[in-house]
Amino acid sequence: MTDDDTPDDARSDGAGTAIVPPDDEVPTWRERKERKQGLARLTYEYFERSRREDQDLRQESSYVERDVLAFPTWPHEMIRNLAITSFFVGMILFLAATLPPHLEAPANPSKTPAIILPDWYLYWSFGLLKLGPLNPELSILGGQTLMEDRTYGVVANVIVVSAVAIVPFLNKGSARRPVEQPFWAAVGVGGVTLAFTLSALAIQNLVPVGVNLLFDLTFLLPLVTGFLAYAVLRSMREGYMYDLNRRYYRLRPPK
Amino acid sequence: MSIEKKDEHDHEAWIEEKDLTPVETTYLTVLLWLDRRFRIVDYLELLENLYYKVNLQMPKSHTEQYNLDNKFWYWYPLYALGSFSTLAYVVAAVSGALLGFYYSPSAATGACDVTGATVSYCSIAFIMSDLNFGFMLRSIHRWAAQVMVAAVFLHMLRVYFTGAYKEPRELNWLLGIVLISLTLGFGYTGYLLPWDQLSYWAGQIGVEMSLSIPFAGEWVAQLVFGGFQPGPATLQRMYILHVFVLPFVVTTLIAIHIGIVWMQGIAEPH
Repeated sequence: MTDDDTPDDARSDGAGTAIVPPDDEVPTWRERKERKQGLARLTYEYFERSRREDQDLRQESSYVERDVLAFPTWPHEMIRNLAITSFFVGMILFLAATLPPHLEAPANPSKTPAIILPDWYLYWSFGLLKLGPLNPELSILGGQTLMEDRTYGVVANVIVVSAVAIVPFLNKGSARRPVEQPFWAAVGVGGVTLAFTLSALAIQNLVPVGVNLLFDLTFLLPLVTGFLAYAVLRSMREGYMYDLNRRYYRLRPPK
Repeated sequence: MSIEKKDEHDHEAWIEEKDLTPVETTYLTVLLWLDRRFRIVDYLELLENLYYKVNLQMPKSHTEQYNLDNKFWYWYPLYALGSFSTLAYVVAAVSGALLGFYYSPSAATGACDVTGATVSYCSIAFIMSDLNFGFMLRSIHRWAAQVMVAAVFLHMLRVYFTGAYKEPRELNWLLGIVLISLTLGFGYTGYLLPWDQLSYWAGQIGVEMSLSIPFAGEWVAQLVFGGFQPGPATLQRMYILHVFVLPFVVTTLIAIHIGIVWMQGIAEPH
């Protein structure tokens, strides 16, 4: 193609703007869509379907809509937010003013301090590093452990975090309240207790309990609180669910 | 839009024949000039779209629709924990930027008359004893960090016990776990910066933890701590992580986290 063939209004080599007005040759969006192949075409088709589905669902539902004239953003909501924000920031400033941090002696690689601890929020993780006694000595390896104790501790950290991560993929459904699912609430309570007991294990030299007893309690207490939570919620559930179901089915009668 | 050519797109002639006031002519000329270059019309269309979407009627919230307010008002303070941690993050960012004016991450010795003190230690000592308002500034930064971590933990518990992580919010739960880990990383890297005894030995624990990772341990220790012993390289890396890498990553993730909450709505118990 030489320069002579190029129509004046489609030149893009510096003369004039490069915007080409649509003519009969330019495909419409529908045509572009129809010319698509493979995955792109599938994507379009899926979008069409899902849009259609949304539309149908919207027509079926009896969803109630309201006027925008509800609780006004300005000034009501903004002032409420401002008040809450100032209160929270004020709390931080108050803590900072009353409980200032201190500075330890400078780092000295040749003098190990008696107590080495991370900040409080890492105690649980630090406690997980002290699970050496649980590292099984496998007879298949001739009484050796599969991994070193310190590797075991790091693996325990990974396992705990992944266990928390997969919760939404195990527990599905529309139940929201702890009473509706005593088991999962009990798992939660046990987990929180485990975080606290692991923290206690991490600061074992500061806890006035024997190390062996503390180690056992670390794993027994979460079970105890978990079972307690389960028992309490389970016995609450009957009466609670009756009320809940009554309200629920009055609003959405079964078909 | 019709694909037939309407005219020769002679906009100047079109403006001429419309017989406009000077203001209108100027406006149209400028608009045309800009539109030829930036296709402003497309963005105007976007804005228009947005305008109509924003002004749609809002659906009733769950509690409103099922009249559950009498039952659930006592939950609401727990729903502020996410905002609270964001707020603490902002406070920590502002105070941290101010601290950054005076802090230097160098591990060279002899900057002040404390034996064995590094420049980083001395700059913290300077901030705390000589700088106007410096003690308070460090205190605010530290407490904002502590409060943020606490609020993030409690926020996670609230989400767990109200079942707010369930479908369709699984991805935000995972994002939250990443965020909580990064928050702890923020705390840890910041904890190492004064380079006092606690920092050094916390660094030692970190090095040992990464060394005990199977196969990749030594590589991770080199990458994150710059060696197998806490040293000047460790301090430098923790500083860069704390003031450069983590702020960008965490701010972006918080924006996405909140954006998803905005899109999906707050999960209320029912």
